[in-house]
Amino acid sequence: MTQLLLFNVTNGLIIGVFYVLMALGLSLILNLSNVINFAHGGFLVIGGYIAYSVTPYVGFWGALLIAPPLTALIGFIVERILIRPLYGRDPLYGLLLTFGLAFIIEDGTRFIWGAQGKPVTVPAVLARPLSSELFFITGYRLFMVVTTIIVVALLFAILRYSRLGIRIRAGTLDLETVAAMGVNIRALRSLNFAAGVFLAGLSGVLAAGQLGLEPTMGTGLLMPSFVAIIVGGVGSLTGTLIGGLLIGVASGVTAVFLPAASEAVIYVLMALILLLRPRGLLGEEGMMT
Amino acid sequence: MAAPIQSGWLDRRAILKGAAALGGFAVGSPAIISARAETPIRIGLVDPLTGVYATYAQNEVIGAKLAVTQINAKGGVLGRPIELLVEDSANDVGTGVQKARKLIERDEVTFLIGDVNSGIAQAIAQVSNEKHVLHIVSGGHTDTITGKDCKWNVYRVCNTTSMEANSICDVLFKQYGKKWHFITPDYAFGHTLQQAALADLTKLGGTMTGNELTPLGTSDFSAFLIKARAANPDVILVLVQGSDMVNSLKQIVQFGLNTQVHVAGLQQELESLEAMPPEARIGIWMFEWYWKQPGVPGVDQFVADIRKVNGGKVPTARHWFGYTSVHTLAGIANQEKTLDSLKLAKALGGFELPPEIKLQPNKCYYRAGDHQLMTSAFIGEAQAQGKDDPEDLFRVDKVIAGDTTAPPVDQTGCKAEWPA
Repeated sequence: MTQLLLFNVTNGLIIGVFYVLMALGLSLILNLSNVINFAHGGFLVIGGYIAYSVTPYVGFWGALLIAPPLTALIGFIVERILIRPLYGRDPLYGLLLTFGLAFIIEDGTRFIWGAQGKPVTVPAVLARPLSSELFFITGYRLFMVVTTIIVVALLFAILRYSRLGIRIRAGTLDLETVAAMGVNIRALRSLNFAAGVFLAGLSGVLAAGQLGLEPTMGTGLLMPSFVAIIVGGVGSLTGTLIGGLLIGVASGVTAVFLPAASEAVIYVLMALILLLRPRGLLGEEGMMT
Repeated sequence: MAAPIQSGWLDRRAILKGAAALGGFAVGSPAIISARAETPIRIGLVDPLTGVYATYAQNEVIGAKLAVTQINAKGGVLGRPIELLVEDSANDVGTGVQKARKLIERDEVTFLIGDVNSGIAQAIAQVSNEKHVLHIVSGGHTDTITGKDCKWNVYRVCNTTSMEANSICDVLFKQYGKKWHFITPDYAFGHTLQQAALADLTKLGGTMTGNELTPLGTSDFSAFLIKARAANPDVILVLVQGSDMVNSLKQIVQFGLNTQVHVAGLQQELESLEAMPPEARIGIWMFEWYWKQPGVPGVDQFVADIRKVNGGKVPTARHWFGYTSVHTLAGIANQEKTLDSLKLAKALGGFELPPEIKLQPNKCYYRAGDHQLMTSAFIGEAQAQGKDDPEDLFRVDKVIAGDTTAPPVDQTGCKAEWPA
């Protein structure tokens, strides 16, 4: 039983890392633009399908490099045309718009690529487990973890040390003052939105290697990402990181004792944390990191 | 304040409003698909066109549309054209019920077909029963639909979960071993399928090492697979369907579990095999219908007809379900020369499908006692690559007649109450 539990904790951390990647993109957009992006799962799907489409020409590694920036470009255009007019309005407008956009993306994907799932094969070198005992740690899953760690480290470094990152963080605290200091906040928001969507696109490519690629795949991955943000605390990227790992482990451990509740447990965890600490684990209004 | 600028009788806003209204009308209108006439006979089809079973549902619609075209080309039903109205249940019971009510009450359909999801099929059967509408469940498998919850007006085309289990469990037991571990979808279909398989396993003298109930739409199966592997079974039986089937088999193969224990299941579908990478197409399964049946009358023509309307792709069991459902309704109405649901429901008991509709070697008929179609089971093995055709992903080893796999009527629990 101890071994089973340890296996599931480890496995939960691996799953949690993926939630972190999704949730950080969501969190970036929410923190600066105040947009609850329900289309984030849709952008994940777009990333996956772009990867599927370009893989025959450039291979998996090429697709991994091409798909996320292309998805980010789509996100940039969407922000420019649809999201920007809603800034300054009630957040409900943005929520409703992205909610509708999620359906449009799902049906659009179905229209372009068909309702039937698409097979995505990962490179043979990644498609095997480390050992027969630790079968759930495959080369591909390790690759996902390492990729996420690198991307998260880069993101935190950019936010901490680059001018763009500092402006994003400052904008999260007081956007009006940032604007008064001459920063083009329109461009800042666009870039920030595109960065969030980039992470969704990257999640899509990585997910397509492990899951079945189909138009609805983003839906199931979106809600845990929202939960990760709420558990970690809205406004805190570090909190989002911890929240993602926590719900991954909670889900994995619950699967040992009560498999049918492995999905519900993350919402129970969210409710408990909201009861005990309504702002989330690291959430402080107006704080970013 | 400046007055608004008027730019002729049709300004940009008016065009946008018009376009939006037109778009809304197009989205809100029912999908009217086939022949139009003054008084068409309407058939309503409720299926999950979105969600995890979207592929299956859309293929059922394609099959149903083909049947509508064929029937109308031959004069329709009682000299009237038939018309198919399709509604999306969105894989949600509440939505399915709402759409079934809309089809019956507002669109006044004469017949109802659907749903792929067993839970929704059961729920809309309540509605069709309340409204006295002849209803064919095209693709929801849970036993109770033609078992303890059977209704005088409800017939079913696809197999029951018991028929599925009875058709294949002995093969799995002989070839793979006696300790089974189940990965089961946590809803009506999964529960009855697992119970039927467990009953067969127990009869055969085997044991269950565990049963992982997985929420519908699970994307990551690793936690369940860790538990299943720890239980040390001879075989992991994958009972989930749709995208869950694709995800679970893909992960099983990536984990290398298929090299440590056998992996198989009961029901498999071509849609799922096609959505998997070749290395994940493994195991012995049961298909409910398969497109490659050399020498069986009508099959080649059906394959050719579906290819024409399906982007060149071959038909799956789901195409056949939709096709057979519509042909059944039209066939019985033309035979009985009435649209009276009670008379037609009585006549359907024992109704045998003609060769060009049944498309399988065995006799195929609706059993009077429980309203279940006695349709065949195709037992065989998944193939990584098609030999002659890229879509030939299943090798059929044997085809078993439905009336040999279906439990006797008195064991189904069906006691339909007929109106006076």
